[in-house]
Amino acid sequence: MYRRIILRDLKRKKTMNIILLLFVVLSAMFTASGVNNIMVVERGLDHYFEEAGMADYYILSHKSNGRDTVEELLRNSENAKAYQKDDVIFTSEENFKRSGKKLMEYSNISMVQSISDSNFNFFDENDNVIDHVEQGKMYITGAVPKRSDLQIGDKFTLKIGEINMKFEFAGTLKDALFGSEMMGNPRMLISEEDYKKIANDDQVKQYASGSVYYIETDNLSALQSEIADAEDIYLMIDNDTVKLSYFMNMIVATIILILSIGLIIVSFVVLRFTIGFTIAEEFREIGVMKAIGLKNNSIRSLYLAKYFCISFVGAVVGYFLNIPFGKMLIKSVSENMVLESQNSAVIGVLCCVAVVLVILFFSWSCTGKIKKLSPIDAVRSGQTGERFHKKSILHLGKTRLKSTAFLSINDVFSQPKQFTIITAIFTICTVFVMVLSVTANTLGSQKMLKMLGITKSDVYFLDSKRITDAISGVKDVDETKQEISDILAENNMPAFVYIEEWYNLSVTANDVKYKTNFVWCKDTKTTDYTYTKGVAPKYENEVALSEMLAEKMHVDIGDVLTLNIDGEDKEFIITALFQSVMQTGNVGRLCEKFEIPGNLMTGAVGYQINFDDDPDEKIISERIEKLKDIFDNKNIYDTCGFVNAITGVSDTIKSVRDFVLAISIIVIILIAVLMEHSFISKEKSEIALMKAIGFRNGAIMTQHTGRFLISVILAQIVAAGLCVPLLMLCIDPIFMTMGATAGIEYQFNVLEQFVIYPLIITATVVISAFLTAMHVGKIKASDTANIE
Amino acid sequence: MNTVLEARDLCKTYIVNKRQNNVLRNVSFSVNEGEMIGIMGPSGSGKSTLLYTVSGMDKMTAGEVFFCGKNLSAMREKELAAARLEDMGFIFQQMYMMKNLSVLDNIILPAVRAAKHHESNKKIAQRGRELMKRLGIAEIAGNDINEVSGGQLQRACICRSMINHPKIIFADEPTGSLNRTSSEEVMEELAKLNADGTTMMIVTHDVKVASRCGKVLFIVDGNIKGEYVIDSGANLRDRERSLNHWLMEMGW
Repeated sequence: MYRRIILRDLKRKKTMNIILLLFVVLSAMFTASGVNNIMVVERGLDHYFEEAGMADYYILSHKSNGRDTVEELLRNSENAKAYQKDDVIFTSEENFKRSGKKLMEYSNISMVQSISDSNFNFFDENDNVIDHVEQGKMYITGAVPKRSDLQIGDKFTLKIGEINMKFEFAGTLKDALFGSEMMGNPRMLISEEDYKKIANDDQVKQYASGSVYYIETDNLSALQSEIADAEDIYLMIDNDTVKLSYFMNMIVATIILILSIGLIIVSFVVLRFTIGFTIAEEFREIGVMKAIGLKNNSIRSLYLAKYFCISFVGAVVGYFLNIPFGKMLIKSVSENMVLESQNSAVIGVLCCVAVVLVILFFSWSCTGKIKKLSPIDAVRSGQTGERFHKKSILHLGKTRLKSTAFLSINDVFSQPKQFTIITAIFTICTVFVMVLSVTANTLGSQKMLKMLGITKSDVYFLDSKRITDAISGVKDVDETKQEISDILAENNMPAFVYIEEWYNLSVTANDVKYKTNFVWCKDTKTTDYTYTKGVAPKYENEVALSEMLAEKMHVDIGDVLTLNIDGEDKEFIITALFQSVMQTGNVGRLCEKFEIPGNLMTGAVGYQINFDDDPDEKIISERIEKLKDIFDNKNIYDTCGFVNAITGVSDTIKSVRDFVLAISIIVIILIAVLMEHSFISKEKSEIALMKAIGFRNGAIMTQHTGRFLISVILAQIVAAGLCVPLLMLCIDPIFMTMGATAGIEYQFNVLEQFVIYPLIITATVVISAFLTAMHVGKIKASDTANIE
Repeated sequence: MNTVLEARDLCKTYIVNKRQNNVLRNVSFSVNEGEMIGIMGPSGSGKSTLLYTVSGMDKMTAGEVFFCGKNLSAMREKELAAARLEDMGFIFQQMYMMKNLSVLDNIILPAVRAAKHHESNKKIAQRGRELMKRLGIAEIAGNDINEVSGGQLQRACICRSMINHPKIIFADEPTGSLNRTSSEEVMEELAKLNADGTTMMIVTHDVKVASRCGKVLFIVDGNIKGEYVIDSGANLRDRERSLNHWLMEMGW
């Protein structure tokens, strides 16, 4: 008999049961994909580094005339437990050509190395370890080939020194050490035979050969002190700092994690509401069952059996849908990382089982009301006359509102629980989009310049070739600036050119040696930059440190540091602290009055150009386009373009924001459609009554849509209020880990964040609710006679 | 005397499980202004269907219904809704009301919706209170609908049906959910309204209720089997007795 009752119930209350089934499917899908993604993201970097065979410390060095000072130091080191070395050849975008034009656009130094000598695991785009590269073929790191639309099989030439070799693009590779957007040093993998041909060239030996060291150590600080005096080092970096360089990916991962948690919360809240709501509507059946003598537990088990059937089917469907959905969510993170098996079947199944159990728990708790219902409920249509809670808050006679508007507002305030849930869901969706939009705007805004420790200029020119020449000693850095300046003057764009130079120097603080990067620019003043504490360095023996570096060295303003510059120890007083996300927050700034030998330069961001005639933004944009042609280089930007190119994540965040907006819209449509369906089903008698007393379909549809409109407007107000606190709660900590210790100044675009997106969400809600409300047309005035 | 409602060869057919069910078969009758007409018949005879069809709440399959000279079957849904709102009043067996509104707000809702002569909500509420006072339920104006008795609620439904000064009130078993005392009170009020000139059409099983009408139609299997005009001069007991007698003759 139970089976017959359940089957009949499933068939008879088709709409509500389908709504419930859909919510179960959503819950199972969101939970399985969400939990999978949380686990993948949580262990993401550790897993990637483990698979890649990362060490504790890394050095990228340049061989001066074939002499390797680093290896000499490491060989005799007490703190380097073991080390491995990959020989590399330094290249720039200028070395790779296709049909006489640049093959790829990138601004940092790149490295070519042989697969056979590699002591490190590189992965192809399917996350398989690359262990062999055919002669004449080349794998290239991550995003660079994609940006340049390089397809597998494309042919190009590598011209370096006297070497001019033809290669075929074999595919993209994932490089844990240099592959993050912040590190951004492309590595090219070629065969041993090809590598030998290039490495044997005299010019390459002289200027372009170097090594990457992977060092194992138990005492990192001692090792750092020990090798602080090594020469010709481009980069020294520990494992934690490499992890930090993935912070842009971690921003995306964190967003996905928060999104997953949000989706899980949304689905369970809605599910709990729907179950409670459907059971509350079944007072008549419950009353009748009690009247014919069924016991509470029997009735309860009947409902539990029904919900088990629905939840089981929903969980199975949800499980299969979670696989593509989860992959879609994690796609943006997994592009340049090797993540653990991205969708574990076991976790998926466990989550779906958990969803079924949670539903049964919800059903159990909701069916507790069965005890309270009596046979009289069946007779009195649920009105026992024993409930005396006040429902109506507003009074029609005391307002000037039209009937439809009044009914909408009154309904929202008379049923605060259900409309609070709906409002909360809309708030979550809106605030997600707002936070992401502000984050994306900030990461691509001028406000990030402060964080990068760079002054504002008209144009930023990321010329890796000239920088490489300056670093390797082929040219003097001033000579490269003059070259650019001359070309600009020749093209009627006279301008002042300057560059922030980086120097990797040995520093002693509190008797501990460190190797760290210092920025120096002779053409700007230290007072041009922002400091969080202290006064800008004024004299040549003064220095400013990033807060993270000061903390690492256990020093503060007024303390003295000893810098080894070209073999000579010099003392500097710390006068100021600042925040920076450059060099993962570990950086110092020297006073412009200090004269540092240019041959010690180890890096630079790019050349900065200020036109003499102080042009407006429009002219600057036009000139940037001209300069791209003149220099045959696309890495020429205005301020926002530069910030975007350096952080490399603004566009990713924007696509994640669009993706979240799409997900939010889907969730909102589902919630609005399903909720409105349940409202129509629940309020069938009221709709029929309204029609009987002369309300038209349009008026009832407007009333129903109006309730959602009120909810969504309230949600927008709450979301706008929560935006800043949530930015501080979720996004600030990510920036803090990267050096923005004093917090970040967010860039708001009021039109976008507080007008356009809220309008999109409001329109989605209103359209979905209105289209669903059209179902009221199916209810006839005469249904007043047929309503149970 | 003006004819408020006239049905000509009214047919209503439902298709249930591919089987045709002729609920009303060529029903013709008319209701004059100020009349109170009762519809009686066994369960399933088509009484409620007749009421819902002639009031424009349900569509007729064939025939014509004229309401104040206008053909209901030719009216669009919008016009029918306007007619129900402004010219008709309804009382149902179940005291259907909007759950989220107070009793007074339920009563005045159709008037606010109609907003005739740009009457303010405040004035409408005042009219609603007066109606409630007239029907003896003034004290429950601010109450929620689940705070009042069935009799009070049904009287509130009568107030709602009256609020727009309708040309006719349709009542479907108005005392069906009430106890005897409440039932008598409600019918007393309906009789008073009729005496004041309100036209009424009442579907009922109850001979006591029907005996208050001036004319009773007896329906069996969708056909009007007979029509009985009650002597308006007789007292209530005699009216009830004569109606009972007639109904027995009709096979009640």
